[in-house]
Amino acid sequence: MKKQLLAAAMLAATSMMAQAGTLGDGNLSISGFGTLGVAKTNSDDAKFARYNQAAGTGDSPRIGLDSNLGLQATYTFNESLSGTVQVLTRKNTSQQFTTDLTWGFLKYKLNDETNVRLGRVVLPAFLISDYQNVGYANTMMRPPIEMYGQAPIENMDGADINWQHAFGDTNVTVQGFGGVSRGKLYIPTGGGSVAKHQSPVFGAAVTAEYGPFTARLAHARAKIEVNNLAPINALTDGLAATKVPAAIQLADDLTLRGGKKMSFTEIGLTMDWKNIVLQAEYAQRRAHEPVYIPETNSGYIMAGYRFGKVLPYYAHAYYKGHGSSVTVPTVPAAHPLAATFGAVRGLLVSPEQKSDLIGMRWDFAKSLALKVQIDHVKPQVKGGSLILPSGVPTYSNSINVYAAGIDFVF
Amino acid sequence: MKKILSALLASALVAAALPASAEIVVIVNKDNPASRMFSEQASQFFLGKSAMFTPVDQAEGSKIRTDFYQKVADKDPAQVKAIWSKLVFTGKATPPKEFKSNAEVKKAVADDPKAIGYIDKSAVDDSVKVILTLP
Repeated sequence: MKKQLLAAAMLAATSMMAQAGTLGDGNLSISGFGTLGVAKTNSDDAKFARYNQAAGTGDSPRIGLDSNLGLQATYTFNESLSGTVQVLTRKNTSQQFTTDLTWGFLKYKLNDETNVRLGRVVLPAFLISDYQNVGYANTMMRPPIEMYGQAPIENMDGADINWQHAFGDTNVTVQGFGGVSRGKLYIPTGGGSVAKHQSPVFGAAVTAEYGPFTARLAHARAKIEVNNLAPINALTDGLAATKVPAAIQLADDLTLRGGKKMSFTEIGLTMDWKNIVLQAEYAQRRAHEPVYIPETNSGYIMAGYRFGKVLPYYAHAYYKGHGSSVTVPTVPAAHPLAATFGAVRGLLVSPEQKSDLIGMRWDFAKSLALKVQIDHVKPQVKGGSLILPSGVPTYSNSINVYAAGIDFVF
Repeated sequence: MKKILSALLASALVAAALPASAEIVVIVNKDNPASRMFSEQASQFFLGKSAMFTPVDQAEGSKIRTDFYQKVADKDPAQVKAIWSKLVFTGKATPPKEFKSNAEVKKAVADDPKAIGYIDKSAVDDSVKVILTLP
């Protein structure tokens, strides 16, 4: 059924592609991108998924891990004003393919160097956040989950301003953004559930480009509010019900009800010089008031070499815990809450994971790229970012993910 | 006989060499104050890094287009497409308008004071201004 849906979507896209030629001459331009991919792992004990993806991939081939389809329409009203809408079909927080509005904004050009956008835009927390779903625009098959899984926010409804200026041979872009992010979060624990978040968010990113080198620095702050986070709410409700002041305080500290302030800081570097392609990023997730979500440091480095149209690459990615913003009260072992507090201490420990991956991109035809990639995923703490079966608290064996796909743009 | 053969061979070589050595020139509107430009600067407009000028492109898949991006930025068509995919699908920019021939590119540049394009050197006339020659 879902395969038929995707096929229907592809068919619709193809007919749109045929029309784009005629429509493209006027003020309306229609374009699209997508990936048709298949993936499997060598184990069914724990499943591999993209961040926020409910359907994990195990040892039988699945198209849901990497396949997606994006359609975009831009209407140019005049030289200063344009409107853009983009929808993306993929497997995200549901077991089925679903379609979401990823971008939807009016863009007003103030001058040659500055524009403002009003509406829904992608939150540019990390280097490739903006185009992480566009396989054709990326070297790797998918953004490293070790880092891209750290920021739960994808889009925001609000505004951003972009200013681009050349200082000699260096192009500098400054982007400021602010708004409210709303979306679904897939909670893999307890058999899996979906929670909704609404989070005011703001931040800025500075990008400098000099010849083949690009450096980027970004900082985003959010007040992440989730009111229906079932597993955490059950815990905090239980703590509050004890009427013990220390337990009530702990419940207040852990919860995401009412919102908690967190930040994401990233530095990224890319190089595309001669035939050498490098991409590296480092990010810190921090809490600015007590919250159960652990602080983390994450990063990755990718290196590739272009042999004509074939680009083999290697990458290493990781994330590690950086402690917790919550202090759990110390009580004697005989205290009735000792076991609960002990369990909370366990909850506050961040999962950790490392990955090594090798892959190859082959630009075999116009607007088409074939990719194959093998990830060697090594969960270090709490099964890393793998989806574990219900009731299994940890998993420490490595798994391999084998994937192949075709990226296209039109 | 030998002479004819070598003459034929020579003319064949010249003919084969001609397309490869055809010079491409970067052109702007006559009202554009710029008088010359380096390859790196010109490539900024065609790779979406600057919106100061409006780039005008040749047809996708055409030889002059492939040669131009190779000469100006050392990029093949797939690399250029990937760069534009990043810009297009993040709403940052729209790709340059395409025209089918040197004459059409020349006309588009002559009609728009902000336009920048590229054509075969042999197609240049005084309706546009040459600011860069790519050998």
